[in-house]
Formats: sequence, C-alpha cells, structure tokens
Amino acid sequence: MIGTTKKPLEEVLAALAPHRKVALVGCDGCAKICQTGGVDEVAQLAQTLEAHGKEIVFQATPERTCNVAKSDPVLQPLKEKIEEADALLVLGCGGAVQITRHLTETYGLTKPVKVGLNSVGHLDTLVPGAVATEECSDCGDCLLNDTGGICPVTRCAKSLLNGPCGGAEAGKCEVDHSRDCAWILIYERLKALGETDKLKRFMEPKDYSRMAKPRTLYIKEGRVA
Amino acid sequence: MKLTELFRKGVFVFTGEVGPVKGCCRTNGGPPPDFVREAVAIKDYVHAVNVADNQSALMRLGSLAASVLLKQAGVEPIFQLTCRDRNRIALQSDLMSACTLGIDNVLCLTGDHIRLGDHTSAKPVFDVDSVQLLKIARGLNEGRDMMGNPLTQPTDLALGAVVNPGFEPLDLQLLKMEKKVEQGAQFFQTQAVFDPVIFESFIKKAERFGVPVMYGLLIVKSPEMARYINENISGITVPRWLTRELEAVPPEGRKEKALEITLRLTKEMAPMVQGIHFMPLGWSDLIPPVVTELRKAGLA
Repeated sequence: MIGTTKKPLEEVLAALAPHRKVALVGCDGCAKICQTGGVDEVAQLAQTLEAHGKEIVFQATPERTCNVAKSDPVLQPLKEKIEEADALLVLGCGGAVQITRHLTETYGLTKPVKVGLNSVGHLDTLVPGAVATEECSDCGDCLLNDTGGICPVTRCAKSLLNGPCGGAEAGKCEVDHSRDCAWILIYERLKALGETDKLKRFMEPKDYSRMAKPRTLYIKEGRVA
Repeated sequence: MKLTELFRKGVFVFTGEVGPVKGCCRTNGGPPPDFVREAVAIKDYVHAVNVADNQSALMRLGSLAASVLLKQAGVEPIFQLTCRDRNRIALQSDLMSACTLGIDNVLCLTGDHIRLGDHTSAKPVFDVDSVQLLKIARGLNEGRDMMGNPLTQPTDLALGAVVNPGFEPLDLQLLKMEKKVEQGAQFFQTQAVFDPVIFESFIKKAERFGVPVMYGLLIVKSPEMARYINENISGITVPRWLTRELEAVPPEGRKEKALEITLRLTKEMAPMVQGIHFMPLGWSDLIPPVVTELRKAGLA
C-alpha cells in the first residue's frame, strides 16, 4: 500500500484559504488502512473544516481513488457538485490527488485539487492498525530470490548489494540502532536455508534506469517504459 | 609511490590519516592548512597519509583537492573515495581526475551514512557499493569504463579497501572482504580494533586471501572521547579497559598514556600484519615515537 500521514490542519487550512466551498474526496483503500482518508477520517475533517467556516459540498470515498475504474464511477455522478465547489481536497496519496485532478479535467472542469495528506512510501502492513514498514523499493528488477526474501535495496540504509558495511553493532544498523542490519538478517536467513553460497556471488551495480521516473506500465504487454 | 609496490618489496608499511577542514584552502603563498602541516610533520615516519572524504558525512574540503595539497607538500596521499555522495559517473570521473593529478593510491569506501553527518536532509547517493567501486576502479586501471568503453589512457591507481575485524558475525564481514579481493582490492586497512584476541581470530581467517592487511589503530585521547566514539561512531567499540586507563591519569598525562597504549597495541598486532594504519585524530605527533620504537624492536 501507499503509506500516508495527515498534514497539519494549519497547512490544510492555508491551502484552502482562498476557497469556501470544498468537496472532500477520501480513499477507502490505502488511506483507510493508514487511518488518514477512509470514510471516518473524511467525516471528521468535514466537521473540522465546517468549524473553520468552510462549506462542505460533498464527501466521497472511492474504494481506491488512485484507480479511475473505482474513482470515476463515484466522481462522475458528482460532476455538478464538483462544479459548484471552489476546490477539492483529497485525503489520499499523491497518486489519488492526481487521478482526481485528471478526472476533473476529463469532466471539462478546472478546479483546484488540494492534498490533505503526505505520502510516505510503498509500505506493507506488519501490525494491522499500528505498524507498516518499507519492504520494497519497486526497483524493477527484483533480487529477492537471491537474498532470502529480504530486500537489501530497501532495508539496507545504503542499498548495499554485496554485503554489510562495517557500521552495524550488535546486529543493528548504524543509521538507526532500533533497526536490524538488513545484511545480518539476510545472512541469518540464508544460513537457515543452507544457501550462504549465494552471498559469495558478486552482485553487479543495479540498473537504475528501471527506476527512472516517471514510469508507465503497459498492462497488456507487461511492459514498463 | 603506490603502496602495492612497497608491499611487494616486503616493506612494513605505516600510514597516517588526516581530515580536511571545513573551508577553502587557497593559501595565496601563506602557511599551509593545519591538516597539511600535520601530514608533513609525520612524513618521514609514514609511507602515506589517508585523506578522509567528508568524514562522518560532515561536509568538508574535498578529499581529492586535499590529497593534491599533500602531494604538493611532499606527502604521499591515499585518496579516500566514498560512494555516499557520487553516482557511478562521478566516481569514475574522480578516479581519472585523481590519477591525472598525480594520486597513486585510492581507498574505496561505502562511506558513513548522511544521517550521521551535518547535512542530514541531503539525498544519499549509494549508486554503487564499495565492492562494485573496486571493480569499476580496476576496470579503469585496465583501460575501460564500467560500460566497456575504452579510455584514451588507463588510470594507474593502487586500490585499497577497508574491513572491520570487530564486525559480528565475522564470517559475513569476511565474505565481503573476499568479494573485495576478487574485484580488485590490493591492500586493506582495518577499522579500529583494540582487542588482540578479536584481531587475531580475524587475521587467521583473512590470511587465506593473500592480500596485505594493515592494522587500524585509533588513538583515543580521553575517556570522554571513548564514550563519544562508542555512542556516535559506527563500527568502533572502545573497550572498558582502555577508557579506565585513560581515566586513571590526570588530563595532562593522557597523551603519554595514549602513547603507551598505542605502543602496547601496535607491538602486539605488528607481527600479524603487513603494516599499521594510524588514525591519530590530530595527535599525529605520537606516530614518530611509535614507529621509531617498533623499528627498534625489529617489528617493522
């Protein structure tokens, strides 16, 4: 999922300062999991904004706002309401915001689309409702087959591919002593699997062109460009 | 002079280390900066002096410019090059620049993470790691860039690397050391270690690589510094006995105590290695008496 945190209310109010009539769009996908933009959070923010003198034109929470297949059927019927609004505020990831903007443009509307959240990464839920961790960097050339299912590109602070730096102490990363050294985890895992020979193999520098932004996925061809 | 030539001749190699200053060093004919003077003061006792590359991720004068200043002052520099701040294009370019400017030795490092330094909001690079950097540097020595394109002139650099004998699990560190050897490392300087038992168990396992190893010794100047290192410097553990010994003497006696400890440790470690790398943290004046004593004792 895409992890999100709430922007401070002052920042949201500053972004909405020129606008009185606001349409609220949440996301019942990732933002719901992060407790930042599901139905409940959208309703809470609507009350807060009303208390600050805003008029809420509508509240909508598509199942996945980043996916037009889910957001268009929700937003298109609200076209007239969107037209009535001075601005839209999206409680979703940066992708959800931009898909919402894209949809308003396809509806022939030029409306400010503002963001109420900060996107903080591709994160995976470890403790539901409490902890999500970054496990994957979407590098375009997955190495997990050779690293015991633990990603060094993501979980090593330096993205080292050929083993640990010298900085770990007591198994912890030099950057954050509360975090395990990814390479020690990989080593222990491969040892348990009887695959430590994999650690001897030189790993070539990564092809970062596969991460060159912005990427487009052509789903039918399975092609990224 | 490349350190590899010294090792080939069987010379027991001594190296020191200086950290470039935070500031420009255009002297306009005036006195050289302190780090150059520090290096010059020990040049008759060491074969070369490491020049740190934005050490601990603290923004400083560039290690290449500082290395050139040392070279101009008659000191053989070891140009430290980290992957933290340069992508593969910049790394290759800097290696060629170094050779062009007369540098003979380069130490290929990953580099401390930006989080430990004074520009914590910077974008970390880490495009390649130290093992890959060694392979890239070897390729430049052989006349081609990492994409296989020919160079008009190859570089001619002795390639050094580092290893941390205090790392646990040691076998994992040795796996990386072996990769460094396979990809081009021609000599090693170790991270600071103070325990001869740990060092011996490391060296027994590392001997099979057949590459010269220099024992790395950090000169701890005070109990406060020992505590600071343990809390803030990654990969180095100052043992309690050393801190206690420094605590047992008044501040004015600590330099003498540091000399005594340095002598004791280097005498114990010297028979196991092909050289000693001093990290004096400004107390470079302790190096001449230690080197003199080791030579007198027939250990170097």
